[in-house]
Parts: sequence; C-alpha cells; structure tokens
Amino acid sequence: MKLIIVPLLLLAGGVLMGAGDQDTPKKILPYPIHVHDMPNGLRVVTVPYESPGIAAFYIIVRAGSRDETEPGKSGFAHFFEHMMFRGTEKYPKERYNEVLKSIGASANANTSNDRTVYHMTGNAEMLEKMFELEADRFMNLKYSIQDFKVEAGAVKGEYTKNFASPYMQRHEKMRATAFTKHTYGHTTIGFFEDIVDMPNQYEYSLQFFDRFYRPEHSAILVVGDVTPEKVNALAEKYFGSWKRGNYTTKVTPEPPQTETRYVHVQVPDFPPFLGLSFKAPAFSDSSLDMPALDVLSNLLFSEKSALYKKLVLEERKVRALSAGAPDSRDPYLFDIQASLVNASDLQYVKDEIMRTIEQAKKQPVDPEELKTTVSHMKYSFAMNIDNPDAIAAALSNYIWITGDPESLNRTYANYEKVTPEDLMRVASKYLVSTGLTVSTISPEETGGVK
Amino acid sequence: MSMKKIILLPIAFMFWLPAMATDFVELRLSNSNKVVFKFMFRNGSISDPVGQEGLTFLTTSLVGDGGTTTLTSTQVKDFLYPMAAQISYSIDKEVAILTFEVHVDHLEAFYPLMIDLLTRPRMDEGDFNRLKSNQENYVTQVIRTSSDEEYSKRALEDLLFRGTRYQHMPAGTVSGVAKLTLEACKAHYQNYFRHDNLTVGIAGNYSPALFNRLKEDVKKFPPGAPKLPDPVKARQPDGIQVEIISKKGALGSAIFTGAPLAITRRDDDFAALMVANSWLGEHRKSYSRLFQKIREERSMNYGDYSYIEWYANGGGNMLPPSGVPRNANYFAIWIRPVQIAKGLKQQYPELSDITIGHAHFAIRMAIRELDLLIKNGMTKEDFELTRTFLRSYIKLYAQTPEQQLGYLMDSKFYGRKDYLAEMDALLAKVTLDDVNKAIRKYWRSDAMFITIVTDESEAGPLAESLRNNLPSPMSYSTSLKESLSAEILKEDEEVATFKLNVKSVKIADSNTTFQ
Repeated sequence: MKLIIVPLLLLAGGVLMGAGDQDTPKKILPYPIHVHDMPNGLRVVTVPYESPGIAAFYIIVRAGSRDETEPGKSGFAHFFEHMMFRGTEKYPKERYNEVLKSIGASANANTSNDRTVYHMTGNAEMLEKMFELEADRFMNLKYSIQDFKVEAGAVKGEYTKNFASPYMQRHEKMRATAFTKHTYGHTTIGFFEDIVDMPNQYEYSLQFFDRFYRPEHSAILVVGDVTPEKVNALAEKYFGSWKRGNYTTKVTPEPPQTETRYVHVQVPDFPPFLGLSFKAPAFSDSSLDMPALDVLSNLLFSEKSALYKKLVLEERKVRALSAGAPDSRDPYLFDIQASLVNASDLQYVKDEIMRTIEQAKKQPVDPEELKTTVSHMKYSFAMNIDNPDAIAAALSNYIWITGDPESLNRTYANYEKVTPEDLMRVASKYLVSTGLTVSTISPEETGGVK
Repeated sequence: MSMKKIILLPIAFMFWLPAMATDFVELRLSNSNKVVFKFMFRNGSISDPVGQEGLTFLTTSLVGDGGTTTLTSTQVKDFLYPMAAQISYSIDKEVAILTFEVHVDHLEAFYPLMIDLLTRPRMDEGDFNRLKSNQENYVTQVIRTSSDEEYSKRALEDLLFRGTRYQHMPAGTVSGVAKLTLEACKAHYQNYFRHDNLTVGIAGNYSPALFNRLKEDVKKFPPGAPKLPDPVKARQPDGIQVEIISKKGALGSAIFTGAPLAITRRDDDFAALMVANSWLGEHRKSYSRLFQKIREERSMNYGDYSYIEWYANGGGNMLPPSGVPRNANYFAIWIRPVQIAKGLKQQYPELSDITIGHAHFAIRMAIRELDLLIKNGMTKEDFELTRTFLRSYIKLYAQTPEQQLGYLMDSKFYGRKDYLAEMDALLAKVTLDDVNKAIRKYWRSDAMFITIVTDESEAGPLAESLRNNLPSPMSYSTSLKESLSAEILKEDEEVATFKLNVKSVKIADSNTTFQ
C-alpha cells in the first residue's frame, strides 16, 4: 500500500459556500462556511460569527511528526513551529515581537502527528496587520544559525517539563511499540537524543521550510467578526505571491500487527494505569468506520456505560475510564485508558474491558441507547462552539485531515447513520487482540498483564 | 476498622452575618444556544476546620458529582447524558463554585434537577468513598509525581502562607483528607453552603420568568451566612528564603518565587502594576522581558513569566480563567524547568565537570531583571506598547458566556461591577509615572520565598551554591556557546555573580510535603 498526501486543493478554483450533503437537513455547525481557493493552491475559509470586535485567525500547515521520515529527525515539525517565531528581514524578531504585541492578540502555535497550527485570536480591526505579519513569515522566514541553536534548547526545556509525567513516558513507549515502521512510532516532540542533536540540523531546517511551508500544504481559516469578501481580499493581497512547492512525504506504511504487544513503565507512588491501544482506521467522512468507533467509545466507556458504572461507581477499582480514536490521516489507534486504585487489579480491569468488547461484537446495542449516545455527542459539540476560537479549532481539525471544512458537518451527519450492526462490525474489525498494544504503569518491575 | 465520626462546628458555634442576601448577576444573551448558571459560595479551603484540610473540596465534589435525595449519582448521570449538560465545580482558597451549562433545548428538564442537586444533595456513602479516594490520591501521589511545575507552585503557597488557613491546597493535606468523614461533609454543607454567602450568576438565552424562578429557588438554601476565618496575608519573608524539594528522578529544576503583594483587583493601582507585570512576564507571551532573557536569548527552558495574582492551571491555560478571587495576594515569578547537572553531563561531554545545573543562574537572572526594573522603571515606549497590548488583550479574557459570567461574578467579590471594563478605563488613564511608582511601591528584589522541585542529585549542590552566593556561571554546550553574542556572554558574567539576599536554604524530601 502506498500512502500519498491528499492535496489540500480538492476542488479547483471558484468559491464554495456551505456545500453539504443533500440529505443533511440541519448541519451541526449552524453558520455558513465560505471557501475560497486561490490559484497558488492556498485554501481560504471564512466563517462569520457574531463576536463583536473579535476574530480568530488560523493558519494550518499539513506537516506534523508524521512527515518526519528521515532517521534522527524526529520532533522536527514541532521544532520548526518554534523557529517560525524567529523573524524575517522585514520583521526581525525584535520588531516581530513589537508588532505582535501591538495587535494585542492571544497568539500561539501547536504541532501534532499530522499538522502544525498557528493561531491568533484578537481584535478583528487588526485583521490586516495579522495577515501582513503572517504572510511575511510564512513566505520570508529568515533566522540565523545562532537563533536556531538557541531555540533548540527551548524544545529540550519543553521535553523536560512534559516528561515529569509518567503518562508521557508511557505514551512515548507505547507509540514506539505499536508502530514499528510508520512515523506515528515517535511522539510529536520527538526522541530525546534527536532533540539534543537539533542544534546541528540548521541546513535540514531550511529544507524543511522549503518542503512544507507552501500554499498547497496550507490553509487559512478566519472565524468571527469578519466578512468573506474582506478575508479573501486580504488573502489575495498578502498570500497571492506565495509560490507552490513540489514535495510529497512518503511515509512507510505500518505492516499488519499479528500479536498483542506490551510496554510497561515502573513508577513508585503513582496511580496505576492501563492503556489498551488497538490499531484503528484513518479518518474518513465517506466511510462509517470512524464514526462508528466514535459512537462505540462513548457507548462502552463513557460515564453512561455499564462498564464505567461497574468499575468506577460500584466496585471503585478504577478512578477514571475513557476511550477514543483521534482523527488521523493514516491508520492510527483506538485508545482505552483506565486509571486504577490498585495495581493488583490491572489484569481484572483488562479482562473486564476485553469482555465488554467481545460482547459488543456479538450483541446489538439497544437502538434507544444508540440514539441517546448520538444526542450526547451532538449536544456536546453544539454547546462547545460558543466563541470564534472554539469554532476555528473544531474546523481546523477537518481542514488538516481532508482539506474540506464541510467534513465537520458530514461527520456529525454520519453519526446519525450509524446502526447497531455497524457497531458490531467495527468492534469485530478493529478491537482485536492481534492489533493490540497493552501499556501499564505501576510500581512493579513488569506490567504483569496478559 | 471503624472510623470515628466527628461533626464539625456545631450550629451553635456559627456566627451569622446580619442582613445579607444572595447576590445575583445576570447576563442575557439572546443569540446564545445555552444557559449557564454559576453558584459561588464564599467559603473555600480557608473554611476547612484545622485538621480536616480538604473538607470544602470534598463537600463541593459531593454536591457536584453526587445525587439528589431522589436520584442516585448514577441516575443523575443517565438523565443528563443525552443532553450533554455539563456540571463542573472548582474550589479555591475563598470560594467554591458550581457551574451548570445546558442547551436551551433541555433547559426545562434540566433546571429542577440542578436545583435539587444544590439544595437536596444526596450525600451518599458510596459517592463519598469514591470521591474521597480520588482526593486522597491527588494529595498523596498525583501532585508530587505528575507535573513538577504545578508541584513547585503549590509548594510555594505552602511556604508563603505557612501557619495560616491559606497554607494548604484546596484539595487538602495528606492527614487532613484521611480524617474526612461523610458526617463532616454533611455538616459542612449545612454550615457553609448557605443562602447569604452565595452569589448566583445566570448567562445566556433564558427568560425573565426563569430568572424569577431561580430567585425563589435559592431560598431553599439554609438561611444566613457562616462567619469565615479572619483574612490572612502572605508571610513577609526575611530576605530570600529558599525551600528545595528533593525528588527522585526529576528531570529538571522547576522554580517559583513569591512575595506578599498588598493590592488586588479591588485597588486602582492594580492597573498600573498590570502594565509593569505584563512587560516583565506576561503569561505565555514571548515578548515579555523574562521570556526574552531566559528562553529567547539563552534557551534555558520553555518559558518564564510573572504574576500579580493567582493564575489557575498556568500550564494549560493561555488566558486567565475566572473563579479564583482572593483577598490575600502575592507577586510571583514562574521559571519553568531548567536543566540539572546530571542531565547536562549526560548530554554534553564538555560539561562533565559541572556541579550544578541552570537553576541558580536562572533565579539570578530573573531577580536581576526585577531589580533593574525597580531601579530603572519602564521606558515611555515600553509603557505605551504594553498598555496598548493590554487594552486589547484583556477583552479576550471573557469570550464565552461562561467566561463573561465568571468575570462579572469575580468583579462583585472585589467590590467592582465589571472588572474588565473598569480595568480598561483605568488603563486608559494610567501614566508612566503611575506605573513606575507602583513598581517601586509594591515590588522588592531582596525579599521573597522560592521553591524549587529538583532531582535528589541536584538538591544538595544547588542548596550550597544558593546559601553561599557562589558564582553560578552558565554552562552552555560548546556548540551553543560559540554562537552566542559577546553581549550575551558579558551579561552572563554579571548575572553569574549577581548577589542575592539569600537568608536561608532548606531541603525537604518530596515525601514530606503537603502532610
């Protein structure tokens, strides 16, 4: 199987507005989505929203730790996100900081497996300045080798703060065990030895910028007190001269897993932890596999589930139980996590989870319960989108996965289509021991879970 | 083993404040698709009885995560699930807040349950055991082993407020939580969750009729208000007093400093200090001075910030959340984990002979910057730019109905009507002279508490270095040092010997904290 990056520009030219499924009477996002595709491949998305004087301005780059295919370069997409704050010729870093400060925005960036997102929420009247500043650094970033070396130390500081948590230690080990070939095998921050070596990778950083910081890998999203006409005009003015690149990441596919794998982190005086990570599909809004897994994770492991009531409320052997499959571009994981009271119950809790899964493969769920779960998922989302930043964050998720913001509406419409049979089917297909990685944290030397 | 039940503070011991009533804050938003309710009780962890630290936390948890006299907690969860109605609660030093959010489609069904949860809590033994176990787990394990930054921040409060009712974490102490009983929670609920120590907020798309109904329903809380403990102040440190928490396996040194601060949001001077603080160390902003000096120029850590009030969950929040109003205030500097000697030696062979990591240097650098600011004041340019920034930035604090309501309710706590609007007006008026006067009046660089969570290999040598004001030259890798400017290296030399007014340095074992 060959994995190819789906170009962001799925539809050529013109303006799309609110193009959704014909059979979806009411979209989960009650605001029109305006899409404008620029000739250089940059997609511009605008959602006007009543937030007087405030706008959220996002730039989404489809480059994440998934794209770190060369050995020794883990963590580079995230490191590069740091470098994007190091200035240009027009706005050297001191001047960049001054202008950024004068905008008075809440601005930051973050990186994950599949993408890097730069976001700025602030005064809508400053939108043109935001465009000017962002376009300049996305097209003309220029940093010295000195700045490059210095910034690498900040990443080491970030690793140092994060890895005080045993959960991060477990996560790093679990990923490296679950994926033997695919770049999902390393976390976004990267392996520590690669981080220590980052100061020596200046040349590679220039190459990284050249490869990924290109219009065809990027999208602009603006939500708030704005009009699409204004946003599109600013995008044309400031990003119109951004040149296309020609790089495509070739990620080695993960070979099929054939047996359960195990990892363990020994930590004294820490709540025992059990993680069950099953190989799961890539995101798709045209198949019901992922929506069905999302529904299943709620049905089987949420506060409403029979298992939660048993393990958390009645037996009180577990403090917290949760599950979910993050949306991802390539097949990733369906994760079930439990924080336990006693390490001696690790095997019991694992058996209970597996028993619940086996039952889900054989017994169709009560349609009323399915309806309740989908209602919960839809109302959770509807209540959360009460400000420009939350709407932009939700939409950006789909923009980096499929390139199309309408995937958000399609996904929630798909939840309505999931049947009890779909749930049995995806449980049988994905929640299997041959695709499982078991991870544990306990005071013992080994996890002791079969 | 049976646990002896102790009822705390019998009613006869309570003092009721006269002629008070529930306060209301309203914010009608006709375009919103939901309604937010907030119930803020003036109690907080300062009202925990001595020896039962954590009682307000557990009592609030039992209300927010329990059942009603007619529904078990499981039945409540089942009922709320299809609505995705949210119940959350937070407990700080002086307030406990329960927040309820519901979509307008479910408002009618949800409302009576909310009132029942608040005024007829089930106080079930099973819920009590579950929630107490989680709280015990937090104070005995989670706080010490999850985030060294949060650990050092909580340890700083323990040191700043030692001997007062502000000392313990709202979640309590190891021995305090162990002693909590269901009976104590029931009594605490009756005594400290009352009609007249309550502020109720409602925001969103609701009808005037609902608001009237709410006003009637809050009469179901027990009347009167408890007498709260006398106000406390942060201790005045004798010079710089350091407490190092030695922890096995820590990867870095996580640092917090704190010194008493005489003013809060109540005072107009707060606006002036806000400008100074934003310039020195605005939370998570790359253009603040500390960030520039410690991270941007020297790459010593992930970030460095300063605070003129409590900032909840600084590691997670980019903007300050509402719901943590306090009367006892302090000025703090947060230096995120810096490298320790053990790690640096492993990473760079050229550093094989160092004895301490970067903590001493980072502390010197931060305090020196504070010292320079006190001596020199802000420049006109920096003042204008920072003020412009703040006047735009504080508008982002309250973007959602929940945040807007929270900030309005906090305003009442501080005797203000609309803190954010009033602060904007004060910022418009404030002058450079006001700011520089405020800096000199409220900040000192020679007296503060410092807590450092670090590895056991680092604790001893670091204590020795701090105690004796030993020079602490920066230990860069050769590759990095070669790329740094002469200007930075020269400044490093000055920082390395900058005299700190250190009066005491103690080392505490991680296992002895929060007992």
